[in-house]
Amino acid sequence: MNAPDRYERFVVPEGTKKVSYERDTKIINAASFTIEREDHTVGNILRMQLHRDPNVLFAGYKLPHPLQYKIIVRIHTASQSSPMQAYNQAINDLDNELNHLKTVFEEEVLKHSRDY
Amino acid sequence: MEVGGGASNQRFPKIKIREMKDEYLKFELRETDASMANALRRVMIAEVPTIAIDLVEIEVNSSVLNDEFISHRLGLIPLTSDRAMGMRFSRDCDACDGDGQCEHCSVEFHLDVRCDQDQTLDVTSADLISTDPSVIPVDVAAKSSSSAYDASENKACLGLRQILMLLCLLERKIYRRGIIIVKLRRGQELRLRAIARKGIGKDHAKWSPAATVTFMYEPEIRINEEMMESLSIDDKRSWIESSPTKVFDIDPNTQQVVVVDPEAYTYDEEVIKKAEAMGKPGLIEIEAKEDSFIFTVESTGAVKASKLVVNAIEVLKQKLDAVRLSDDTVEADDQFGELGVHMRGG
Repeated sequence: MNAPDRYERFVVPEGTKKVSYERDTKIINAASFTIEREDHTVGNILRMQLHRDPNVLFAGYKLPHPLQYKIIVRIHTASQSSPMQAYNQAINDLDNELNHLKTVFEEEVLKHSRDY
Repeated sequence: MEVGGGASNQRFPKIKIREMKDEYLKFELRETDASMANALRRVMIAEVPTIAIDLVEIEVNSSVLNDEFISHRLGLIPLTSDRAMGMRFSRDCDACDGDGQCEHCSVEFHLDVRCDQDQTLDVTSADLISTDPSVIPVDVAAKSSSSAYDASENKACLGLRQILMLLCLLERKIYRRGIIIVKLRRGQELRLRAIARKGIGKDHAKWSPAATVTFMYEPEIRINEEMMESLSIDDKRSWIESSPTKVFDIDPNTQQVVVVDPEAYTYDEEVIKKAEAMGKPGLIEIEAKEDSFIFTVESTGAVKASKLVVNAIEVLKQKLDAVRLSDDTVEADDQFGELGVHMRGG
């Protein structure tokens, strides 16, 4: 009866930002990104992509609580980069990877439907 | 929008389709990591949109099942959802209040069945009348296209297979009229209006387009041939038998142990244990290739399996786009000004 609406799991409430950025006050080039209404799907690919960046010293994500629909991505970079730069780069790379994936997949489907 | 001089670490994955049917797909995904494979799997199951009945207005229901029960059953009927990617969620639709009249976010269905015979009457998905011919129950759609399917099959081969297929079709026509919603006896009636909406599996499983989506690491199996040759034929046989799935066999000509189906291996390690028990550790080495995956996708029929993968890639792209930093976040960071420069070691 007092169950929260199901859509609360994936609709960002009004007045809340999808991504908020908080710089670490003690460590240079370290920051946390709080992403609202996302889970392991995005958290894990972001983290793994960040690990491929040689300027990233640390990248991790956590889902603080299963009923709080947000993730926190923490990035620590070397001085020639910044967490924000690394974050943007990771998203761009993933986006390009998915574009590539879509093209090759559609080519394969076409090839396959022609062959059989 | 290149920010700074960050070098790209982009990958270029490869795909090879093994088997493709409308509702089934098997393909290899290579040169990427498990996070990408798992993200795709998760998106296919929970975030690719489909259309399903979401709101039911019951006018008459004198059947044995109560209104909620019937509404729930209606929701679970898969509907052809090729339109779903282009549709709006009814909560985002400004043009209407999601009452079924709006073509951007909803499709209306009507059902009106009354039993006037002594025999029990099945109310099925085939009795649902859609206001949009492109959104109909998948079993009804499959039936109407089965005649076309028949024609395309004609050129393949005529004979036993054809007869079997015809029998199958005949059987479906007689016994499978559709997905049974409820059964009525004489005098019972069911009349309702249902509104189907776009949704995702995260909201409710009825919107999931996937029956099953799995991926496995491709195994790399290396047999130590020298050590294998030191085994007698009976030892070889008993070693092969130790695997619960048929991964290995003996070549009838050379009497050598060969890998017949590496993918049948379930990472149970039984053959490794057996080799050790036989006093031959290192007889076999099996490794999971960390960048190579074999996907199996089974669709409910709401969208084609191949389309499901394409949609999943598209949805994942949209998700990534949504988590990009907004411009005001970047500006707010710059407002740190001197402190910011100082913090960055400037």
